[in-house]
Amino acid sequence: MSKATAQPLSLKLASGAFLAFWCLIAAFPIAWIAVMSVKSPRDAFDASAWNVITGPATRAAGNGLSFLDIALGLVVLYFAIRWAFTRLPGLVEQYSPAGFIVLGWLVGAAVYGLLFVLIFFGALPVVFGVLNSIAGPLGTPILGLTTEHYVAVWGENEFYRNFINSMIVTAGVVTVSLTVGTLAGYGLARSGSNLAFWLLIIALVFRALPHSVLVAGYLPWFINSAEILRPILGDLSPTLYGQPWAIIAVLVAINQPFTIWMLRSFFQNIPSELDEAARVDGCSHFQAFRRVIMPVMWPGVITTGLFSFLLGYNDFLVTALLLDAQNQTMVPAIAGYFNRETTTTDQVEAVAAAVSITAPLFLLVMVFQRQIVSGLTAGAVKG
Amino acid sequence: MKFKTFFWFVAPSVFMMLLFIAAPLISVLIQSFQITQPVMQQIEVETCTPGFLTQTCTTEVKTVPVIDEATGRAQTTTEWVGFQSYRNVLQMDKVWSALGSGNWGKILQIDFWKALRFTLMFTLVTLPLVVGVGLMIALAVNNAAKALRGPVIFISLLPFIITPVIGSLSIYWLFVGDGILTATLERWLDRDIAMFGQAWTIELLMYFYRVWHVAPFAFVIFYAGLQTVNMDTLESAIIDGANRFERLRYVIVPHLMPLIIFIALIHLMDCYRVFDEIIGFRSQAHVISLQWLTFDFLTPDDAGNRAISRAAASAMLTMVGIVILLILPLRRTWRDHKGGAH
Amino acid sequence: MYLKKLALAGAVSLLGTTAFAACSYENDVPLKSLTAGFEAWKAVTDAMAECGNFQAELDQEFRTKQPAAFEANPSLYHIGGVSNGTVTPLLNAGTIRPLDDLVAKYGQDLSPNQLIRVDGKIMAVAMMVNTQHLMYRSDILADLGIDTPTTWDEVFAAADKIKEAGVVDHAIGATMKSGWNLAQEFVNMYPGFGGAFFNADNTAAVNSDAGMKALETMKKTLDYTDPEVLVSDSTYVQQQFQQGKIAMANLWASRAGAMNDENESQVVGKVSMAAAPIAMDGGAPATTLWWDGIVIATNITDEEADAAFRLAMEGLDSEMVTANNEAAIWLVNGYQPGPLAEGAVATATANPAPPAYPSTTQMGLLHTALGNELPAFLTGDRDGAATLAAVEEAYTTSAKEAGVLK
Repeated sequence: MSKATAQPLSLKLASGAFLAFWCLIAAFPIAWIAVMSVKSPRDAFDASAWNVITGPATRAAGNGLSFLDIALGLVVLYFAIRWAFTRLPGLVEQYSPAGFIVLGWLVGAAVYGLLFVLIFFGALPVVFGVLNSIAGPLGTPILGLTTEHYVAVWGENEFYRNFINSMIVTAGVVTVSLTVGTLAGYGLARSGSNLAFWLLIIALVFRALPHSVLVAGYLPWFINSAEILRPILGDLSPTLYGQPWAIIAVLVAINQPFTIWMLRSFFQNIPSELDEAARVDGCSHFQAFRRVIMPVMWPGVITTGLFSFLLGYNDFLVTALLLDAQNQTMVPAIAGYFNRETTTTDQVEAVAAAVSITAPLFLLVMVFQRQIVSGLTAGAVKG
Repeated sequence: MKFKTFFWFVAPSVFMMLLFIAAPLISVLIQSFQITQPVMQQIEVETCTPGFLTQTCTTEVKTVPVIDEATGRAQTTTEWVGFQSYRNVLQMDKVWSALGSGNWGKILQIDFWKALRFTLMFTLVTLPLVVGVGLMIALAVNNAAKALRGPVIFISLLPFIITPVIGSLSIYWLFVGDGILTATLERWLDRDIAMFGQAWTIELLMYFYRVWHVAPFAFVIFYAGLQTVNMDTLESAIIDGANRFERLRYVIVPHLMPLIIFIALIHLMDCYRVFDEIIGFRSQAHVISLQWLTFDFLTPDDAGNRAISRAAASAMLTMVGIVILLILPLRRTWRDHKGGAH
Repeated sequence: MYLKKLALAGAVSLLGTTAFAACSYENDVPLKSLTAGFEAWKAVTDAMAECGNFQAELDQEFRTKQPAAFEANPSLYHIGGVSNGTVTPLLNAGTIRPLDDLVAKYGQDLSPNQLIRVDGKIMAVAMMVNTQHLMYRSDILADLGIDTPTTWDEVFAAADKIKEAGVVDHAIGATMKSGWNLAQEFVNMYPGFGGAFFNADNTAAVNSDAGMKALETMKKTLDYTDPEVLVSDSTYVQQQFQQGKIAMANLWASRAGAMNDENESQVVGKVSMAAAPIAMDGGAPATTLWWDGIVIATNITDEEADAAFRLAMEGLDSEMVTANNEAAIWLVNGYQPGPLAEGAVATATANPAPPAYPSTTQMGLLHTALGNELPAFLTGDRDGAATLAAVEEAYTTSAKEAGVLK
């Protein structure tokens, strides 16, 4: 940086202050529901912020952390996070097979998440129990905290089923969406025809459609599909309602417009000389795609895949209406806690569930943060 | 690329879009010109319902659909009604009479126009805010020390990745009733505040939520764009004596212009179908949006009735609106395509 | 500490399942049900699940799914949970079957009161009743020397005193969330003033004197409620009660149990129930009676229907009621009405008795029209007469679309 671009102190301060303020706004609502989720229903919805944080009713019920617990917990937390940023990347790179670094990261993140949960909810409480009994005044609870809602959600309410369903749907959406989308994106990027242009424009209009219109249109077809398809498929005709793969198809279709736009602009930034050269060497378009384009397309695909992931994981409208209880994903399951006939306990359990479903998103962003920025920089967003 | 090759590349994608988007869309278009209703008959029915301990029976004339003996389903008739459903949604007669009497506020009591007012305002108010806030965060992050960038980007992305249903609820809880932020405000301003008691505060919260939710998306895109700013141009601008603001105005913003248009495009589309906020903030009494109106027509009541024709008409009107909004930004894409190098 | 608790919780839940797995037979026909998701349904479907081979779907979207799912052939569900509101589309479409034979075969324990008859045929079996009635903080009313209000005028008089004393944030709570809840408040109040909803030719009759009075009473409530009342549903009002923020509310009987839940409530033992207040002299309590119950699909085989009904009877037995006595105002034999049920019983046995919520197509349409048009009146955008005219107009438009009106 030359001297001319150096910044006066006032500007640096202002920029820093703005950033701090933004981070506070960005993180506060999420941090707050995390606090609510570990309090008894009475504390969670208390009017006084102080009561929500300290949780007197929760503490009165015998659930709490002592000063010692908090201090030790913070130390462990600090090292856990530090380790994730310093040592984990090295380990992942060391142990993942070449070319599968992405997969390695996913496995690494999952293992790390599991270890984290085990240490925090399995090992630490036991250690704390022993320490508190010998620590005297430092060992008396000062902060109300309970994990009962998490236990209720994941244990009694079998939320892990919803988790598995969500994973199936999301994985399906990402894989199919990217497979179909990369092909189309590449085709559209390399074809200058008017047809390609109008396809893109129509896709854009499709993207703008209100989803509730589409979704309500599906319901009668999905429910009656066995009857409708019987003349064609005979007794094999499936009832689409409640089938995860049917939901995957719907979500992929809804997500296609955005995917092909992103990938098209990404492919446009890969010089077409590359595949033309391969074509001169006698490759067909598909071979050129596979040999030349595929190796260099990953940054863009990962970024686009991340958006597909968010869509599949966060969807509510489609999954709430077209899946039955056995195949319900997490978001509609949580919304189910808020219907007309709920109790305050249900609501706090819903908050606990909501915090739990945010955790995988956290991990995902941690893992892919650099790829998102570099993928976008590499040109997936040139308009 | 030959047409045949092109066709095979795009075929799976196009097929899915045709099946799951275009086909429902066409059926919606047709439904908006039709009314399908059951054939009704009036019969006298005795119904017995439980009281506590004893039953009460009432005999009354009920209007019920005729069941077809052969299929076991209710008989229906379908009728082409032209623009009847559109008229029912738009209620132009009331609009004209309101305009005629000079009482313009009355127009906003008609659901469609009320929804259109909010939807447009929501879109147009949040658009510059999202672009502005996103750009400011991007510049600030770009300005921050290298070591800080990672965590800051992570925190900044949180509002965008969090499930919208949960995001809006988390903000709703902070403000509803004596939610802790409302309580804090009350103590600070020393007066009773009800954030969900009147339309304008709810609207403000909805704007806030949307900017909170989408600005990170704009931020990360702009931040990516900032990494590719041409340093030579920037330095020659400094040599030319351009101050900080001028550099931003004449070098950085033009460089980011395609991205700004991209964000604007995405944002226009997403905002125009605003829906989550209405449900999340329970604002139906005060403000409604176009997609909510369609959704409300489609939601069956206890007796299973839904206004499918009006829902179809309002959906088509929403679509016409979005196409009009998109024309402006898309003219550039068209020019690019015409002069395109591909 | 936590580990121990976890293990304990696991052990308790294991014990629980064995203790409750007391189904008198083994069900070998795969069955599914679709019901709403509140406490009473959880209790009933859990009891049914003990017999095996049964999947319960407790779904907040059941209203949307049920008519379509029962119309499919074969029906996607065997057992449905309905109320007198939501049974209408199933009855109209003929997708639920008459139960007379099955009741004769398996229904020895049913009381005649539970059998919902339409034209002499049993179409559903009711399990509980629900109604909105007056809940009040007995401690506050006693402190201020107020008698239990029996009319809306007395409610307002009491509210004045409570407001003056300033002991709670808001004297009255109300389930006036715009849409279904708000419309339900009108549907409660309007017959209380002696109004009839429809004329003989199916046109709406709410634009009447009784309609104006109902609106005025509702608006008067706003003087005493939270300004955010247009977003408050029954869970929210229940929370306000539990947190000691309100002193009176016309709230659902199914919510009474939550007032004494130690984990949630700060007012345990301080909330009493009374009959819904009457709106005019000699009138019925201004509320409507609801029942919830089960139906069996038409589009399934007779064997499945037989198994489904037998299973449902197992879910509705007195053993289930004894275990979940406070979850609802049960109609099933073995129910012991506790103090929390006093209000509901007083409401249902009042003379004249409040009407049952009408199961008609027209009522569904009118309910929607009310839910959409009333907010403008309560926010002050529109006066009462114009609002009622708008309600009738909205009803007419949708009734013509639904084929109810020519």
